[in-house]
Amino acid sequence: MVVKIIQVILSPVLALAIGVFFLGLARKIMARIHWRYGPPLIQPVIDMIRLFYQKSVSHGRMFDLGIVLSLAGSIVVVLFLPFGGIAPLSSSGGLLVILYVMLLAPLGMALSGGQAANPNISIGISRKLILSLGYELPLLLVLLAVMTRYKTISIVEVVSAQQSAGWAFISFPLFLSGISYFLILPAILGIRPFDVSSAPQEISSGPMVEYGGKYLALAHIEHAFVLFISIALFVNLFLGGAANPVIFFAKMLVVFVLGLCINAVFPRFRIEQAIKYLWKWPTLLAFLGLIMTLIVRS
Amino acid sequence: MDRNQITKWLKEPAKMANKYSLHAIYFCTGCGIIEVPPVITARWDAERFGVIPVATPRQANLFLITGYVSVKTLRAIIRTYEQMYEPKYTVGFGSCPVNGGMYWDSYNTIKHLDKYIPIDGWIAGCMPRPEAIFIAVTHLWTLIDKGMATGYIRYKENYKSYRRNQEMALGKLQWPPLHPIDSDSEEAERD
Repeated sequence: MVVKIIQVILSPVLALAIGVFFLGLARKIMARIHWRYGPPLIQPVIDMIRLFYQKSVSHGRMFDLGIVLSLAGSIVVVLFLPFGGIAPLSSSGGLLVILYVMLLAPLGMALSGGQAANPNISIGISRKLILSLGYELPLLLVLLAVMTRYKTISIVEVVSAQQSAGWAFISFPLFLSGISYFLILPAILGIRPFDVSSAPQEISSGPMVEYGGKYLALAHIEHAFVLFISIALFVNLFLGGAANPVIFFAKMLVVFVLGLCINAVFPRFRIEQAIKYLWKWPTLLAFLGLIMTLIVRS
Repeated sequence: MDRNQITKWLKEPAKMANKYSLHAIYFCTGCGIIEVPPVITARWDAERFGVIPVATPRQANLFLITGYVSVKTLRAIIRTYEQMYEPKYTVGFGSCPVNGGMYWDSYNTIKHLDKYIPIDGWIAGCMPRPEAIFIAVTHLWTLIDKGMATGYIRYKENYKSYRRNQEMALGKLQWPPLHPIDSDSEEAERD
């Protein structure tokens, strides 16, 4: 019981630390790919300290509550995700709960931005929702394939099945789903080529346009959690999880750096190009993976 | 570079974080903005100093006035400056904001920018090299360290005279005053 309470408190803190580390690493690696020296690794922490000390103006009650809602949703998802051996609440619920609660984070940001009534925010939110329509379809097919293959909705059981039978990413029918998930990972993270919703050059960073001071710091923390969640989900479902947090972290690091390389060299899709891409190759692969899984199983 | 001053960080985290996280609002007022793209990209990488451009005034705390300021631009500059959250710093870039520069007798540019918004530092020259921006940033660090980069406090204290200058240049302003203008003290002065 005591161990469980400690885990419930510890795992969001750990997720936040890893997410913020990833934010710093992203800026450094991007700089090195551009042949720049780049900021120090702790630059996001410096930015957040600065933002928390800055004055800020609220645009209404929903503006405050929406961002808290999205942060709360992310923290709840973190509790349901096994991280190496640490899995505080993952024995109950499983993938279905994660699918539902993951929606709270973009919803909270949309509610919060809507209160500020800036036209750039409305454009950004509509792009974000269209983009999520694009990647939810292959994501659901991928998760369906995984659930069908292992005959369970619990992530812990998926992880333990992979530890006895090998990674899903290199097993026969599921590698199609794995590739599909990796192809939509930039869209879930909102990084290039899918940063249409937060494009600074087009719509003044979209939903973030009215955030400043502590609101922006909370939005950065939210982003760190989203980074952690989507990559940890990939590692759990396809790279076999891990027995201890260190190996799990190493796997996450590999996935993240691969995603960053895509982020560093690609330009931005327009929104209709993004949908066209997302509904073509990743959906096709995910669908193929699901059918193959059904054939192999019967 | 004094990045490893841990005792300073523990003593004054706000001041140190303000120093090393200067987010510049990407606002092109004149020809000087042509020097900024090389500064933020691969040739002179400003991000290693923590300086990055941001798209909105809410996220920014550094305002680079790059080049001449026409009367129309002054309106946008004042609105942008007032939308930034405190503490905020402004740097005039090039000769024109200092004293009019080559536009000193132009009918539609303003001569002295610091009559309208407070300026924490100047970069003289026409054009200044991109390196001058880094020198300005390091000077701004020194000013923040010594507590001398107090433009936003001066703006608050002398808001009445700033507002009067702005109204002299632009006519009637369409937005309400940022800080309360104390009308009682005005009457007291008249008496």
